[in-house]
Amino acid sequence: MKNPETESRRWRWFDYRKPIPSHVAVGLGVAGWLIFFCAWIVSDLSGMVSELLVPPPQKVVAALVELIAEQGFLGDIAVSIYRVVVSFAAACALAVPLGIVMGAFKSVESFFNPFVSAWRYLPAPSFIPILLMWFGTGDAPKLALLFIGVVFFLITLVMDHTRGVRLELIETSLTLGGNRWQVLWTVVVPAVLPNVVVAMRQMLAVSWTYLVIAEIVASTNGIGAMMMRAKRFLHTDQIIAGILVIGILGLLFDYLFRVVHRLLFPYIEENAR
Amino acid sequence: MSASVVKLSAEGVGKSFVGTGGRVIQAVRDVSFAVHENEFCVLLGPSGCGKSTVLRMIAGLEDPTTGVLRLDGHEILRPDRERGMVFQSYTSFDWLTVGQNVEYGMKLNRVPVAERRERAAHFIDLVKLTRFRDAYPKQLSGGMKQRVAIARTLANSPSLLLMDEPFGALDAETRWNMQELMVSIMDSTQTTVVMVTHDIEEALFLGDRIVFISRHPGTVLEDMTTDFKGGTRVRRKEDMLTVPGYAEMERHIMRLMREQGAEHEDEG
Repeated sequence: MKNPETESRRWRWFDYRKPIPSHVAVGLGVAGWLIFFCAWIVSDLSGMVSELLVPPPQKVVAALVELIAEQGFLGDIAVSIYRVVVSFAAACALAVPLGIVMGAFKSVESFFNPFVSAWRYLPAPSFIPILLMWFGTGDAPKLALLFIGVVFFLITLVMDHTRGVRLELIETSLTLGGNRWQVLWTVVVPAVLPNVVVAMRQMLAVSWTYLVIAEIVASTNGIGAMMMRAKRFLHTDQIIAGILVIGILGLLFDYLFRVVHRLLFPYIEENAR
Repeated sequence: MSASVVKLSAEGVGKSFVGTGGRVIQAVRDVSFAVHENEFCVLLGPSGCGKSTVLRMIAGLEDPTTGVLRLDGHEILRPDRERGMVFQSYTSFDWLTVGQNVEYGMKLNRVPVAERRERAAHFIDLVKLTRFRDAYPKQLSGGMKQRVAIARTLANSPSLLLMDEPFGALDAETRWNMQELMVSIMDSTQTTVVMVTHDIEEALFLGDRIVFISRHPGTVLEDMTTDFKGGTRVRRKEDMLTVPGYAEMERHIMRLMREQGAEHEDEG
């Protein structure tokens, strides 16, 4: 006979989908990063790669400190965050209500979807030249690019999630006397909202991607612009510092969305999140 | 229960769909039956016989292709609060507590807050969920979620309660408890019920009237009253087994069910 207690404590490295102890999970995550940094440092010490092209980690950190202390890098970061937040808010303000109405009513979907789907296949950066001609060199063309890059995907995601709201929930409300408007506000919207926040989280990452493209192509400030300046003077340490900051900001925003999700929707089962 | 005021009537109701390749599929044909005030009517039949389609048409969620359905003499044209429906799948609103779920329908219909609270408390008590009034559905078992759905529908005072295999997803023991709960609810609320099931025991235990629907296309094969219960409802399920006449009726329905199944196999 197997002893169930010892049985439950045993775990193997490669069991399909079995949970592993949390300290092992954390250790594995840290190990991945450690190996990455070790490889980075070793490649530098061995002299196999040019220090100009691949600066060691300590130089990157030093460059970051110098950027912040002496070159007003925090201002660049603030400008980039501003661009992402403003354009993303505008995209959500359009995409969320439109996506919900498209997902709820076939007639609205039939009207908008052929249009929206087509735009989704046009790569947003291809609009940069025309946006520059329309809006000049200020913030407007960058905001417009980020908006275009996000809005059509977000509409589609929200529409699909709204279509996924179970029909029985809607029909329950109808047989309790709900009219069209009441069903939309008391069933469809609350049922889809948690998924909308997840879709927003996913699209925010895309927004950061377009931000860097916009700033690298045509900008005098922002994180991307700093990286292009650094390229001109062969400051690879500054470029990598820029990449690092974008990564950290992305992680931070993602974490923020997860916290918001948990606070807004405490009634959702943890494993369904 | 002997009152013979007709509450719901189906008169030659048929429903056909256009299937794949433009072929017209007749799901239900010429269904006629009547349900009286305070009666518990069960629509029984093999799976795929269209009994759920009949129920959905009574709810107003689908339109009949032919024939008329009437509630209190008025033709049924669209869903409304008069005909509240409990589904087989769980329909508790995750974002509302048990109390808010039960109040939901009354809130839609602008019932004043004080009355809403009171009625909700009454029906939550009736389905024995008072301890869970402030809990969210994720904390409830399947049987409890169905009790929320039943309380929510009854609290909205429909004149007809519709149930589409409401206990089909529950385990056996929970199912008995729910069936017995339904009997006590029927005794205390004076509601007229139409319920769809393919569970013969359940039909015999709960039904005052059993309308047996045949397969392909669904139509009324037999309209029976559960006379063996002598006009009263049995309160405990095991007691039903010893009521004279129960076994004969169950055997009769089982044979109907088997004939339908055999016909189906011949088609395949």
